[in-house]
Formats: sequence, structure tokens, C-alpha cells
Amino acid sequence: MELEDIISKYPPRQIILLPIVIIVLALISLGVTYLNTGSPVHLGIEFTGGTLVTVPQTGTEDTVRSQFEGYPLVDVRNIGSRYMLQFGPMSDSDYARLAKQVNEKYEGAEIKHMGPIYSKELQAQVIRYLPISFLLMAVVVFLVFREPIVSLLVIISAIADILIAAASMNLTGVQLSLGTVAALLMLIGYSVDTDILLSMRVLKRKGAVDEKIVGAMGTGLTMTGTTIAAVLSLIIVSNFLYFIIPSFSRMDVIADMSTVLIFGLAADVFNTWVTNAQGLRWYMNRPGKATRRQKK
Amino acid sequence: MSLLHDLSKDRRVVVYAAAVVLALIFIAVFGLKFGLDLEGGSYLQLQLQGAVAQVDVSPEKILEAQFNGTSVEKHGDSYFVTVQGKVDSTLADDLGYSGAKIVERDNTSKVTIIASPETVITNYLKKSLDADVRIVSVAPVKYEIRTNVSRDSLNLILAPVGGSVPAGEDAFVDGVTADTVDETKKVLDSKLNRLGLQDIKVRIVDNKFILIDLAGMDVATAQDVVGKPGKFEIRIQTENNQTVHVLYGDAVESVDIPQGDRQGGWGVPFMLSEEGAKVFQKAAIDAGATKNPDAHYISMYLDKDEIFSAPLAAELAGSLAKTPVRNLEARVGSGDAGSQKAKELYIHLREGALPVNVEVVGSGQVSAALGKQFKVQMVIAGLIALLAVAGMIFYRYREKRVVLPMITTSLSEVVMMLGIWALAGWQLDLASLAGIIMVIGTGVDQLVIITDELIRGGEASSLERSIKERAAEAAAKAGTAIAPTSSKVYLGRLSRAFSIILGAAATTVVAMLPLLYMGFGALTGFALIIILGVFLGVAIARPAYGRIIGHILGTS
Repeated sequence: MELEDIISKYPPRQIILLPIVIIVLALISLGVTYLNTGSPVHLGIEFTGGTLVTVPQTGTEDTVRSQFEGYPLVDVRNIGSRYMLQFGPMSDSDYARLAKQVNEKYEGAEIKHMGPIYSKELQAQVIRYLPISFLLMAVVVFLVFREPIVSLLVIISAIADILIAAASMNLTGVQLSLGTVAALLMLIGYSVDTDILLSMRVLKRKGAVDEKIVGAMGTGLTMTGTTIAAVLSLIIVSNFLYFIIPSFSRMDVIADMSTVLIFGLAADVFNTWVTNAQGLRWYMNRPGKATRRQKK
Repeated sequence: MSLLHDLSKDRRVVVYAAAVVLALIFIAVFGLKFGLDLEGGSYLQLQLQGAVAQVDVSPEKILEAQFNGTSVEKHGDSYFVTVQGKVDSTLADDLGYSGAKIVERDNTSKVTIIASPETVITNYLKKSLDADVRIVSVAPVKYEIRTNVSRDSLNLILAPVGGSVPAGEDAFVDGVTADTVDETKKVLDSKLNRLGLQDIKVRIVDNKFILIDLAGMDVATAQDVVGKPGKFEIRIQTENNQTVHVLYGDAVESVDIPQGDRQGGWGVPFMLSEEGAKVFQKAAIDAGATKNPDAHYISMYLDKDEIFSAPLAAELAGSLAKTPVRNLEARVGSGDAGSQKAKELYIHLREGALPVNVEVVGSGQVSAALGKQFKVQMVIAGLIALLAVAGMIFYRYREKRVVLPMITTSLSEVVMMLGIWALAGWQLDLASLAGIIMVIGTGVDQLVIITDELIRGGEASSLERSIKERAAEAAAKAGTAIAPTSSKVYLGRLSRAFSIILGAAATTVVAMLPLLYMGFGALTGFALIIILGVFLGVAIARPAYGRIIGHILGTS
């Protein structure tokens, strides 16, 4: 395994440059998006307001377009056996008319309408709650380790995971939706899992630091592996199954959620076994520190 | 086999087995309920508009401005307003002071109003905002304004009478009181129930939003149903025990919040339109009710259900004989029962109109067929996830005796979660099904930690050896002579595994907490099932797994 070689062959100072570069790249991606759109990730319809309608495919895309000419139709997408129509914000009376029209023309339509209050409130909620989640996570980590440096390393790795996952949303065109916010929060939990395992093993077990890290990797990679396996099955079912079974359709919420998770988990592998592990190597092998540690 | 025998003595294993059996019973007895997005139907998300505010304003100034008076004096319970010239006899009534007396002398009128300062302020706010206003606390006095209002707009309304909202966060709070939210929910409940709709769920989120789920209905119809008032009718009893139609709901101009009198009686004041008052007077005279009020019941109906019936009051009969009366009150009785009845009648009199202005912030629908398809897709996803996870574990351990207990434990965690869901009667929606799959992922993670701690799989320099060899070594270390469950080495490792697990579980729980409140309840199921799964896993399934896997590794 290459990752194992990296862990022990080079001094931490050199390897730590790698995560720094990646985090900076992620920040640049988020920053550029922020300058262009006013928020670090592209906001989905739930945050901008509007209406989503999916209808069974009965005609061509153009016929669907022509059916809803009077409305602020932004986009039509083919999602398996259905079309997904995205409308921009409209008045309540227009929306009531649209809903009636959709139900008259199509059997089994799905409608999702998000008014301006909805999206504004949701934005406020994310800004309010996301930091709380993070703060609580940090408190838990501190309580678990009661060592500032070790805890800080875990928290930095978690922050890096979220930043990279968010940046990857910009690269893959996944927009911020309720589902992706949930996924980002899930990532806080997931990323800390393996970091705690690693730090516990390194702190509490006897033996050389590098060997303990490599040992923890066996367990940690299995853990991430099972999670990735579960998430991959969600991706396949929500995103691609409709290519094989035409009567199925794309499940947006699940698809977005699992895309963000898969990037976050990949970032987690990197951040746990490079960022956090190198941090620990440096911390444990500091002169004066190592001897005290060995006694425990 | 001694494995079963030994394990059956372990408390953790017994609790675990009992929990799984109990969960299966719950699922069988109560059954699983599915959410709207899997069953089909529509939902509405409403925001209650309103604010709770304090105001600094002098009642005298309000009355002076309202009556265009020259001076206002307060003596005891009464205000005396002096006005140059004549005062329109209906003005006081219009402003909400029904008992006002007007005395004219030498081109000046003196209006006597019996009212508390708070009543004057409430009436002023009601009139200016065209909305209900209620006093919700006494020291300091706070007014609940049941319509969309901001601090600035309220200040603008108070400025002409020299008033303002005092500075400070507490003086103006967006949103209505919990009581009002509850009342709104009750109105919706009673209204939807009267329409005979099945499976309606009205939920409150964040004390500000009301979510309504209507099964088997498209969103256009749902909006009509919730927005449409009921059909209100007043009828009067004629001579021969028959009733005749008097008025429909359109003649009721406003309904006031129920009021108790000094004798403990309760009533709901309401006001008829000018035209309506004339019709009512005529009907009362025609029916002979003005002469013999006791024999003539006034009945009110909402969607054909009788909601009120009482004889015409004697003093009202007296007034009606002479002139139309606009301000009426439906008296319902005294004590707590009266208060309760008055509240119900208040809701009905308003024809199911909501006590607060609401704004539809979001809505939508899912068809039953699509919901069913999503359900199938999620079951497939769950099975694929389980298989993939099992494959991943097998790839690492290459040992059936480890993989099987792991997958069984993971499955049993899902069963326990579903058991609680069934018991609580909660609905499984698309997001909570996704949550279950996530829990399978995290649950197995933690079982991996336990297994590896026990067999020292993560021990350095052992990568070349197979897990099987290490398992055998672990068995040797633990010693087959002593039962592994009592071995100190084993317990030490297990407790280390649990300190990692608890830390990881706690972070997952705190990360999920915000989702309970975010997104108008859309992700509550997701967060709840993950938190529950983590708790069940840590408290019940994983301790038992630790024992079981210890036995399997130890006795092999």
C-alpha cells in the first residue's frame, strides 16, 4: 500500500504540505464560487425558491415545454421515465393555477413548491445550525481526549473533510439542498469516527507510533470501506438504476446526499491517514514528549 | 453446544435477544406506517404570521385621536372624551366600545367609555391593523398581534398617537405564542375532521410553522380545502317548532375572542354587518321572538352541524323590537365547561378561519404510484447496501464466523429501530429509509472496531498474517481454559473498543441534532432514526455482539 509507505518514509513536515495544498485548493474553489454567486456552494431550488414538477414521460421535451409556456420554466431534465421541470419563483395564484394544470394533464405528477419565506428561513437555519453541529462535535472530541493538540488534529481533519466535500460539490455541479446539508452533517460524524480510532490507538497502545498508525489503518479503512459500500449502493439505486429498469426514476434527495457523502468519505480517508496521522506522528515524536508517553 | 448455553447466562445477550423479539412483536402488532412521500398525497407548510410586542403609548392620546376630541380624562374605570360638535352615534361601536354613552350639551359632546388602558390600546391596534390583538402577559403588558407586522410598521402605526415600541430585543418578538399555534392547529384539525378526511396529520414545527399532510389528495385540492371557509348559517325558531334561515356567514363581520363576565359566564361576541343586523331584526320580529324570546331559539350551523342553540335573550329582544343591533354575543354557559364551549364556538363562528394570518411557504404532492416505486427502490438499495457491506467485511476477515454475527447484529439493529418506529406510530418517509441504510454503514463500522480490538487485528507488524491466524492467536491468548468473558485481557480490550465507539457515537448524535429542527421537519425522520440507531446499537446490540464475538473467537 502506497499510503503506508508515505506514512513512515517521509518526515511529517514534508507530507503535511500535501493536505495544506488540497485544503487551499478547496478554499479557492469555495471562494471563487462565493465571489460569483454570493455563497460558497451553488444553492439548490430549496434555497432559492421555486417549483419542481416531475411528470411521467408522454411526449417529447418540447411538447412539455410548450405546455407550460406561461410559467417561468427554467429547466427541463430527463430523469428516467419522467421529466423534471424546474420553475422559478412565481406568485401564489400562478402556482395554484400551475398545480391545477399539472394535475389535469398528468396522472401521478410530483410537485414541490418552495416559497420565498421557505428558502429564506432555510438559509437562516443552515447558517444557525451548521456551526452549532460543529461546535458540539468539537466539544465531544475534547471530552473524549482531554488533550488540546490531539483534539485539534481531529477537528482540523473534520473541517478539511467538509471543505473538500463542499468544494467537490462545486466541481460536480451538485447544488446545496436539504439532502446535501444532511449529508455534510453526516460527514461530521463519519469523519470523526476514524480519527477517534486512530488517535485512541496511537495514544493508548504501546509500541512505535508508525506501527500503531499502520495497524489502525487496517481497521479504519475497513470501516470507511463498509460505509462507502453502503453509500455506493445508494448512488447506484438513486442515480443509475433507472438506466437499467426504465420504470424507475431518479431519487434526487438520495442522489445528491450520496454524491456528497462519497466525496466526503474519500476526503476522510486522505485526512485521517495523512493529515491526522502525520499530525500525530509529529506530536508524538516531539522531543521530551515521547518519553512521557511511553510510560503510560 | 456450550456457546448458546454460556451466552444465555450473559445479561447483555439476554437483553439484546429480548429487545429483538420485542421489536418483532411491535412490528407485527402495530405495523409500519409510511410517510406521505411513499404513500402518495400532498402537504402544505404554513407559517403563522404575527408578533408579540410591548408598546409605549398613552390611552388618552389614542382616544383623543380616534374621537377627534379636545380633551380626555380618566376617572376610575372610565374615560371621558370631550369632543367639539356632534359625535356620530355609531363611531364608538365601530371603534369597539359598545357600551359608550354620548351626552350632547352646548355644541360639545361628552363620550363616556368604560375600558381599561389595555383595552383601549388593544382596540386601537385591532382597528389599525385589521387583525386580532390579544394581551398575552401582564407585567410587562405584551400584545400578541395576529398578522404580519414588523417593528417598523408597528412604530408607524403608533407614531400618530405619540407611541412607540420600546427598545430592546424583548419588546418585539416575531412569531405568536405557543397557545395561539396550538389553537390554530386545533382549528385545522377540527375543520379537516369535519370534512371527513382520513389520515390527516397536522404538526407544529419550531412553534412557527404548521405542516399538514393530506393523504390521497392532490396539492391544488389540498390548498382549496385548507383555505376554503366552512358554510355558516344562523336560523331562528318560528311559532310551530320550525326553523327558518336568517343569515349566512357573510353577514358576520367579525368575531371576538371569548370573554368571561363577572358571574363566571362565557360568551363569544360577534358583530353583524349593517345589512345583516337589519335582516336579523326583521327575522326576529317576523318570528315573534321579540315578544316571546324564550320560545324562540337562535341556532347556528356550520356545514349543517348545529354548533349553537339558545333562546333569544330578553334584553336583546327588547332592543330588537326598536332598532337593529350589530353587536351580539352568543352565551354558552359558565365555568370551565363554558370557557371550553366558548372557545369551540369561537372557532366555528369564524367558519374555520384560522385565528392567525398564515402564509403558505411550501407545498407539494407525490402520487401513490411514484411513492410505491420509491419504496421498492429503497428496499433494493437497502439489500444492495447490506450485501456490499457483507462483501467488504468478508474481504477483510475471510471468516464466516465473524461475518455472519456482524451482519446479523446489523440487521437486528434495523429490526429494533423499526420496532420502536412501529410502537411510536411514527411514519417512515424516504429520508428515514435512507437513514436506516446510513445506520447499517455506521453500525458495522463500530462492530469492526470491537472485532479488531478483540483480536488485536490492528496490532503492528501482523499485516501479512491472515485474520484467521490472528483469531486463533487471540483465542490462545484469552485462554480456552478460562471463559473469555471473564478474562481481564478481554474485558480491557472490550472497554477500550467501547471508549472509541462512544466517542464516535456521540459525535454522530450531536451532528444530527440540528436536523431535528431544520427544513420544516423534512429531515426529522432521517435524524431521529440515525440517533435512535446509534443509541440502540451502543446500548443493546454492540455490548451483546462483544460477548458473542468474544465467545466465538475464544472457543474456536
